[in-house]
Amino acid sequence: MSELAAVLPGVLEKAGWSVPGGLVPVLAMFICASIVAAAMGLSAAVLVWAERKLAGHFQCRLGPVYVGGKFGWLQSIADGIKLLLKEDIIPADADRPLFRLAPYLVVLGVFLAFIAFPVSEKLMVADLNIGIFFILAVLTLEVFGVILAGWASNNKWALLGAMRAAAQMVSYEIPMGLAILPVVVEAQSLSLKSIVAAQSGGMLRWYVFQPPFFMGVSFLIFFLAGLASLKRAPFDLPEAESELTAGFHTEYSGMRFSFFFMAEYAGMILVSGLAAALYLGGWHGILPGQSGAMWFLLKTAFLVFVMIWLRWTLPRLRIDQVVYVGWKVLTPFVLACVLGQALMAYK
Amino acid sequence: MTAVRTYFSDVFMGLWTALVGMSITLRYLFSKPVTEMYPDVKPRTPTRYRGIHVFEEEKCIGCYVCAKACPVDCIEIGVVRKGKEIKITKFDIDYQKCMFCDLCCEPCPAHCIHMGPEFEKASFTRKGTILQFATPKTLTEEEKKVEKVARK
Amino acid sequence: MVAVEKDVRTDELVINMGPQHPSTHGVLRVVLKTDGEMCLDAQPDIGYLHRCAEKIAENLPYGQFVPYTDRMDYVSGMGCNMGYCMAVEQVAGIQVPERGEWLRVIVTELNRIASHLLAFGTYGLDTGAITPFLYGFRERELVLDLLEMLCGARLTYSYIRIGGVDGDVPPEFMDKLKEFLDIFPKKIREYNKLLTYNHIFMKRTVGVGVLPADVAIAYGVTGPCLRGSGVRQDVRRDEPYSVYPKLEFDVPVGTDEHGPIGDAWNRYYIRIRELEESAKILRQCVKMISPGPVLAEKVGRVKPPAGAEAYTRSENARGELGFYIVSDGTMTPARVKVRAPSFSNISVLPAIVRGQMLADVVAIIGSLDIVLGEIDR
Ligand code: SF4
Ligand code: SF4
Repeated sequence: MSELAAVLPGVLEKAGWSVPGGLVPVLAMFICASIVAAAMGLSAAVLVWAERKLAGHFQCRLGPVYVGGKFGWLQSIADGIKLLLKEDIIPADADRPLFRLAPYLVVLGVFLAFIAFPVSEKLMVADLNIGIFFILAVLTLEVFGVILAGWASNNKWALLGAMRAAAQMVSYEIPMGLAILPVVVEAQSLSLKSIVAAQSGGMLRWYVFQPPFFMGVSFLIFFLAGLASLKRAPFDLPEAESELTAGFHTEYSGMRFSFFFMAEYAGMILVSGLAAALYLGGWHGILPGQSGAMWFLLKTAFLVFVMIWLRWTLPRLRIDQVVYVGWKVLTPFVLACVLGQALMAYK
Repeated sequence: MTAVRTYFSDVFMGLWTALVGMSITLRYLFSKPVTEMYPDVKPRTPTRYRGIHVFEEEKCIGCYVCAKACPVDCIEIGVVRKGKEIKITKFDIDYQKCMFCDLCCEPCPAHCIHMGPEFEKASFTRKGTILQFATPKTLTEEEKKVEKVARK
Repeated sequence: MVAVEKDVRTDELVINMGPQHPSTHGVLRVVLKTDGEMCLDAQPDIGYLHRCAEKIAENLPYGQFVPYTDRMDYVSGMGCNMGYCMAVEQVAGIQVPERGEWLRVIVTELNRIASHLLAFGTYGLDTGAITPFLYGFRERELVLDLLEMLCGARLTYSYIRIGGVDGDVPPEFMDKLKEFLDIFPKKIREYNKLLTYNHIFMKRTVGVGVLPADVAIAYGVTGPCLRGSGVRQDVRRDEPYSVYPKLEFDVPVGTDEHGPIGDAWNRYYIRIRELEESAKILRQCVKMISPGPVLAEKVGRVKPPAGAEAYTRSENARGELGFYIVSDGTMTPARVKVRAPSFSNISVLPAIVRGQMLADVVAIIGSLDIVLGEIDR
């Protein structure tokens, strides 16, 4: 953003507009925000299509085929238009202000997190010196939205879904946060830029492949905990459709529903991107010297693919099992990793 | 000790069986889908398919046997008899009721009603689901008097 | 499941599950009493699909009721056809020709495969795995194609008629059947890898909803649910009808290999094993069937003597299907009573869900594999 703020006055002058100097950072902020929002919406749309198409082929089906030619490219646009045009129903007994607020909170959490999203060395809204910490912190905002949605709907299924979401978030925030620690210890920084920079020089320098694989294990844990915090299968209990009809968003329809949807898909990109940056060398290529946004996007896409793949393969856990896995499996393992990495750093 | 062993074997089995499952789904990702492109490509129904009836009016002798055999009474037949001459004035099947059971076709003495291959007869109105198989005829006054319409 | 001790008393939450709910397998309504995620009580409430089938039977000539039996257990219509026709044949004293019996067994076993594949798929759905459902349907499609080739319908067959079956097989049927039987075992192995032995799936179902053998018998549970509890009961073997005495097949029962006998996993696994057994029966049928007439001669209008009555038992995909017919000497029966296996099977639900988690309730209902059309009739 600072680069944008630096070049912006020149661009504006060429266009023949004069803007008072004090307004330039504000303008830059607006531009960045709209770019992030647009990218988020667009990538969510692409992902929805990709998920449906992949799900189809995983199941020997075809997925969308009609809208926009042979492969149904425009399916999610059509879906989006349909959702926009749909009637926005608020249940009679719902807590109206909270019911309306909830979807925005959910989207806001993911949206804010994209600010520190390290696409490449240049393509990054803000290189915060506490980048990861910031992302984890704002991502937790999402759960407030979910709980609010469940509570405000005044529906028993929604409430149960929200309570599950709360239990799940509490259990998985911890392994997720801890899983980052080995990387932070190794890179000696909380800034995503410097963490990625520390992994330059080919595939073997990526943190996942660093013996003795403390970071490799913590990558796995980060990924699983990320799945759980996104409420993706096999941890999709808050919206488990076979038990809770649709969980916390049972009562939502139209645009508000699509906000939850968008947040989920944007969240998938976020968690995958974060994992790619932390453990898979971010924008660095497989061979030394290669780098660029392309690599980062490729890795992110691969991780997103794995998420989709998992969802269309595995059954769902039960809530007590989810909490068990969070506390008794992931947390001890990740603690061991942190300890190991710290001892290595100490030597 | 067994608790420790089950703990680790659970963790291992959880990951391993997930991988096994993923290998299966991955294989199908690249195999040919089995989808039938139904409205674009119409499926070929087998010869015995029990779809919308086929009625051969010229053979029908208006004996009502089919209407009697029908469990849901959805066939309505109108006949005008003049000596040996038989005129089928009405042969309606109500497809809101019909359950495509084939019971009407078997007892027909003239073998003139069969189950056909057609199955697309959805309609937006209730009336549209009643198919009229007999060719429309204008009846003389005298014929109208002797016309017999029966359901069962 | 251990009882959780609490020092805070909280209110119970009464949840209405169904009649429109994704995993009640139709229009079943279950009134759940829950304490958080724990289920304290569940009362199934049935009757949303009641169509007076038994009363209709009293008003129709015997032969015309056959299509209605399709719509009782609509997932295995052939079994219902067969049960009803056997009962009518018994009251009216009709002999079915040999080939007719063979064809009946072939179609009912094929239909059992189709039905169990549906049970397998929907059970995957109940536990959250969506893909096995589609895989199950892919193979079910092959079976339905076979049945369609034979009788022209995919779900409501009415193929079995009083006195035999409706028409001999088309010439290419047997080859297609053999083809299917060749690829089928491979698919079953795949299901096992994908779902049966998936660790998450096992964690979800092993030890869940344990139905002890004595409780099962007390509630009149039959079919795979009873066999899952370790009771080797199968009408095809215990009281053989049709040509079953000539066939060799196993009756799989639940084991304690992975967890307690009678849990949801066992009930589910019995169905997978029965897929294999049905395939085995079909292979024997293909070899042993001989040409001949398929329909008894001069069945015409069935008019049993007054006062004649019969009760026949047959093994449907869901359990023991009984038809009781009383004749009053007219063209229509005086009374038809159906003993529907799903009806008894669902009655055991309250006894086994207490103290389970909410997600387990779904897993238990799924493992009972009920068909609402048959419960309500
Ligand atoms: S197919 Fe069956 S229901 Fe339909 S008209 Fe014929 S006898 Fe009646
Ligand atoms: S049974 Fe055949 S001949 Fe008689 S009325 Fe029906 S279609 Fe016509």
